[in-house]
Amino acid sequence: MTDQEHFQAIADAVVDGDTDLATEATQAALDADVDPLQVLNGGLMSGAEEVGKRFERGEYFLPELMLAGRALKAAMEVVKPPLLEKYSEGEGKVKGKVVAATVQTDIHDIGKNIVASMMTAAGFEVTDMGVDVPIKSIIDKAEELGAQIISLSALLTTSMPFMKDLIDLLVARGIRQKYVILVGGASVTEDWAKAIGADGTARNAAEAVKLARSKMNA
Amino acid sequence: MLNYLEILDRANTGPYMTEENWDLEKVAMTTKRLVKKYKLEWNPNEIVTDDPALSEAIWKAGYELAVTLGAYSRSTERLIHITQDEIDYGIRTAPQEVVMGEGKDARTLYARRLNDERAPLFFGGSPGTPIPERIFLANVMSYMQEPLIDLATCGTLVEVDGREVRTGNPIEIVSTRRELQYMRQGLKRVGRAGMGMLAAQSSVSELGDLAAAHPDYLRPCDSHLVPVLNELKMDHRNISRAVNSLEYGMVNASLPCVIVGGLGGGPAGSAVVNVASYLIANITCLADYHILHPIHVRHIATSTRDVLWVINATGQAFARHAPHIIVADIYPKSGAGTKKLLYETAANAIVNAVSGNHLEGVGAADGNAPNCSGLEARLMAEVALATHKMKMSLKDANTFVQQLLPKYEHVFTPDGNPGLPFDQVYDTVKIQPQDFWQKMYEEVKTELKEMGLSL
Repeated sequence: MTDQEHFQAIADAVVDGDTDLATEATQAALDADVDPLQVLNGGLMSGAEEVGKRFERGEYFLPELMLAGRALKAAMEVVKPPLLEKYSEGEGKVKGKVVAATVQTDIHDIGKNIVASMMTAAGFEVTDMGVDVPIKSIIDKAEELGAQIISLSALLTTSMPFMKDLIDLLVARGIRQKYVILVGGASVTEDWAKAIGADGTARNAAEAVKLARSKMNA
Repeated sequence: MLNYLEILDRANTGPYMTEENWDLEKVAMTTKRLVKKYKLEWNPNEIVTDDPALSEAIWKAGYELAVTLGAYSRSTERLIHITQDEIDYGIRTAPQEVVMGEGKDARTLYARRLNDERAPLFFGGSPGTPIPERIFLANVMSYMQEPLIDLATCGTLVEVDGREVRTGNPIEIVSTRRELQYMRQGLKRVGRAGMGMLAAQSSVSELGDLAAAHPDYLRPCDSHLVPVLNELKMDHRNISRAVNSLEYGMVNASLPCVIVGGLGGGPAGSAVVNVASYLIANITCLADYHILHPIHVRHIATSTRDVLWVINATGQAFARHAPHIIVADIYPKSGAGTKKLLYETAANAIVNAVSGNHLEGVGAADGNAPNCSGLEARLMAEVALATHKMKMSLKDANTFVQQLLPKYEHVFTPDGNPGLPFDQVYDTVKIQPQDFWQKMYEEVKTELKEMGLSL
């Protein structure tokens, strides 16, 4: 197989959301001495990008997105060791560690799931804490994992204030500067995000990924 | 009969399963299989279908999904097993009539059939929309005063006495009670004190519901929402709502907001999930009636082609095969003070009127901003009643909707078309539309008449 054929096989497996095939194809490429960074970018990320495009075009739905995220996560585990070995610094590193959660009192998870899946697909290491998560637990998890990004979701206007509480608590603990705080939800606006001291918001999952990328490169 | 203690027992003792496995391997995979098995497809050019075989297939697939999966408890991460006999019992005993309100203002909600001789009923209000306290009373009165509105609903108070409302906080009790004080005051002021309500919209957790189950706030002749979580899930908080109202004797309305493009996949799978959700909600929510509110995964609104199709498909599946009381939420993308809101409202009204649903609305601007008023609810009721009185066929309804869609479909962008807040489209003292808003309404009505609607 040529390198290109390896990339195509990996990307196809991600697009199909086939975890077994994605890990097998990734391993096969590595066994054939394909550069792990190229496996990541040419295969896994290329497949992930295609999944994102299909979702935005309305051709893919949430299950396909979640299955692709699952396949990608598994394949990342295969490519990560050789990647880190060869590129301990710089390009080979994951784009960033993200702690994602729907804040306390809010049980809506679809928006958060889509953003988490798209971020995973874009190469971020996402820890999804679920819904109705107390703000202290979110901060503790971010500290424990050494995350760079905290991604908060709330659909309910009456749950949105807890996002501000989280930022205030980070400030009170003197660790606000350690994190990029992204906030999202149907009623979250740019003005509101700015007012509570967040680092940004996005109108949809694709924009959220772009924002996360730009914040990590800033 | 399966009672709530039995439901709790099952939620506490059923087999464990991770939520991700429930979502993907149970809901998504089973729905996908059923869509294939029953060869379900949607056609964007046939929003209102006239296909009994398709309707029967959607009904059967939804029934099979409910029987196959049962429900999931998010609180305990366990499966809630529900037998086929129990699903059948829920269908057989689903209320066919529910009286809401009291005295001369009482109305009887009923399970509509296809081509039902009886007209649909109308809930007026912008359900769940965040509304500032200073305009709350005037806003709800703008709907209550509309003669065609039968029942009242409302938005959510986002602040009380200048204090931000937070879910699960003691202020949720204050905001829910304050909301109901305004609602009762509004009903008295428009001379319809006995009108039934679907309210306590400010109760996001169970706290507000518990605080409002009192004759000064929600009366037994009123109703409140018991959500089904996406998809086919319950939690103890929401079962608490149902349990609380059971002894109080209040009406329960189930609220499954199926995501179109979510775990059920496209429109066909989403309709299947919606059918199954009601069959589950008969049991887990102790539902007297059901809210139909599919949400578009990217655009939210109920007026996109695919969501309108799901509304039509779900409504028809029940109206043809097992009539239940279904009340459809109308949630357009556009906000007050725009013609697009009126076109979107008209499209929703026609689809619901012919599909066996009652109507509730209008949750203008996706229910995200206080950009809503009684005027669009007036149009909702007028269009639905005209559709009913004309005995509009399913085929003609589709033709009308296809003519309306191009008038507003371009609003489905991230920026939307939010329009203006209530206090900019209404005189909030006289509670009447501003001239420009009234003129827009009349112009759109003229257009609808020219299209052939007997308004």
